[in-house]
Amino acid sequence: MNAGSEQALREQLEAAGYIADEDLATTLWLAGELQRPLLVEGDAGVGKTALATALARSQGRRLVRLQCHEGLDLSQAAYEWNYGRQLLAIRLSETGAERLREADLFGRDYLLQRPLLQALLSEDPCVLLIDEVDRADEAFEAFLLEMLADHQITVPELGTLHARHVPQAMLTSNGTRELSDALRRRCLYHHLDYPTLAREMAIVKRTLPQTESALVEQAVAFVQRLRREDLGKVPGVAETLDWVRALHRLQFKALPDDPQGLMQTLGCLLKTRDDRFQIGPDRVRNLVEGRRSVGVAEKATA
Amino acid sequence: MSVAPARAQPIEAIAGFAALLREHGLKVGIAEHQAMVQAALALPLSGGGAHGGPVWRESRISAAWRAVACHDLRDWRRWPDLFERYWYPGRLKGTVKVSGQTRPSRDLREVVQQLQQSLDGAGAQPPRPGGPAPDAALDDRGGHDDDASLPRAQGGASRTEALHDRSLSMWLPQDLAQLETLAERIAARLRRRLTRRWHDDAHGRRLDLRRTLRASLRTGGVPVQPAWRRPRRERPRLFILVDVSRSMQTHAQLFLRIARAFVQAAGARVFVFHTRLAEVTPLLQRDSAAVQEKVNAVTAGFGGGTRIATSLADFAGVHARAQLGRGARVWVLSDGFDADEPHRLAEQLLRVRGRGGRITWFHPNPARPASAAMQACDGLIERFVPLHRLRDLALAVPLLH
Repeated sequence: MNAGSEQALREQLEAAGYIADEDLATTLWLAGELQRPLLVEGDAGVGKTALATALARSQGRRLVRLQCHEGLDLSQAAYEWNYGRQLLAIRLSETGAERLREADLFGRDYLLQRPLLQALLSEDPCVLLIDEVDRADEAFEAFLLEMLADHQITVPELGTLHARHVPQAMLTSNGTRELSDALRRRCLYHHLDYPTLAREMAIVKRTLPQTESALVEQAVAFVQRLRREDLGKVPGVAETLDWVRALHRLQFKALPDDPQGLMQTLGCLLKTRDDRFQIGPDRVRNLVEGRRSVGVAEKATA
Repeated sequence: MSVAPARAQPIEAIAGFAALLREHGLKVGIAEHQAMVQAALALPLSGGGAHGGPVWRESRISAAWRAVACHDLRDWRRWPDLFERYWYPGRLKGTVKVSGQTRPSRDLREVVQQLQQSLDGAGAQPPRPGGPAPDAALDDRGGHDDDASLPRAQGGASRTEALHDRSLSMWLPQDLAQLETLAERIAARLRRRLTRRWHDDAHGRRLDLRRTLRASLRTGGVPVQPAWRRPRRERPRLFILVDVSRSMQTHAQLFLRIARAFVQAAGARVFVFHTRLAEVTPLLQRDSAAVQEKVNAVTAGFGGGTRIATSLADFAGVHARAQLGRGARVWVLSDGFDADEPHRLAEQLLRVRGRGGRITWFHPNPARPASAAMQACDGLIERFVPLHRLRDLALAVPLLH
């Protein structure tokens, strides 16, 4: 593998609709090279899940997604025995002549594959997304260790099932709970931050190509300034896209000087009552004009 | 006689870097060290097409090693500084160069090139186990950081200043991490109270009959997967009242930092008071540089003086009326100078005690508060804790439960 592959991966991601910076492309490429899972952390809305989707699309692989939640257990994440079918087989064997052995009941036919096992036993290479792993319990995290480090799952009745193709695993976390050191050390790590002005403009232009260029530039600059405010819920890239889409639908060609026109659409960006209260028309006007408040005084940004 | 600087062996140079990372708290073990070498081998410094300038190539190495060596946001943020410090000490401002010492030159590109050449020469063998120990490169760290060749401690005396021994008025931002750890330790020690509620737990001891029967429907009425429960234990509610009056001016900001650590570690509710009381918990939940500014804004309308008894009455009667129950911990951070009539403070503390609250009083001076109001409160306050240094909080850990 040479340095060009990483550049190629970046271009593939771009073709799949995800604009990654060089560091992220290097990390993704390295995760594939070393066959290590990648843990991506960052605020909600910075594009962690979208990255996995784009990676799968760019490489023409199937995306197997496991959405974690509190109380997630093995039967929902890895595998489960098909009890109904097992009981049916027992009843049939009682009435029929054919005798059923216990080993028959715990064969592959009676195993229901859940996302982790699906990814492991997939015929073709796939991308495994373990989304919001911090929402799952610590016990589940411990179970993941075997799967992520050795690419295998042990089913007591069947033995150890090894991966046909090592899935490219990606874990995302919002920091709801501190993850264990053991899990972190088995993964490569990348922290996704909010995109820079240029990158966010490129993302919006790529996703919404029909939007006026002036509107995109002004709207993205506005959101970048808004992120520097002391907000409870900082708007992510998804919010920027929603907002620009809304402005486009409302036939705006550029941001209006009158803040009242914008106030109606700010629901796309500000998702809590406190934030709506804090960003009033005056504040919006300052943000549009590029002014920033410093204590009680205001100054124009360079 | 001029002597050319010795060339650092690539494996040793990377080992030295790994050692530097370990010294700075990054968890870089053998697995990470190996992965760094693998990454360096996989990302050759030659080639790279149109983008292949030296700066671009080095930034790729940095990005790859960062993904390997960093495990959380704290490590992630420290990386650029550590990388520069080791590989490009000359770029750092304010470094001191000590004359008369030579250290092997450390050029990232050379190191990786040599690594690849040695690998090619040895028939793609992994780094030899009989070679110099990885940590041998530790000694070649020049004057750009703490001299690691000196013993860390001599006869029990350490070269490093004991941060926690400094007075709180000389607090530095780096002490905050230590404070957060302490807060977590104290929060973990707060004795959990047994409640009458139960919650689901696969390792519980009581059978949850309703859920077991419900689950058995899937298996034709056979309870294949029993559901279990265990009693729920809850952490006591923690209320922190911070005195922000003028007499506490020098301490209030630091006390608010302590309160903030407990908001995050134990879900505490924080109030500030001088002539009146106001809740500031929502302001402390977010990591914002403007916390102090916002607290100032909340308390801007308050007059001078301190009215502890009035504030406590407001606290027990209005703000914490519903939550102040058996086992609630009330921590007051104040010097005890009260402008209310002296007997009122005891009355209000008695009221809080009557509701089941357990009161701990943290005072900023080494001696216990001796104001007239405080003298009447002796039996009502469970414990007095001096909070003059970070060590005081560490010493108080066994007492706070």
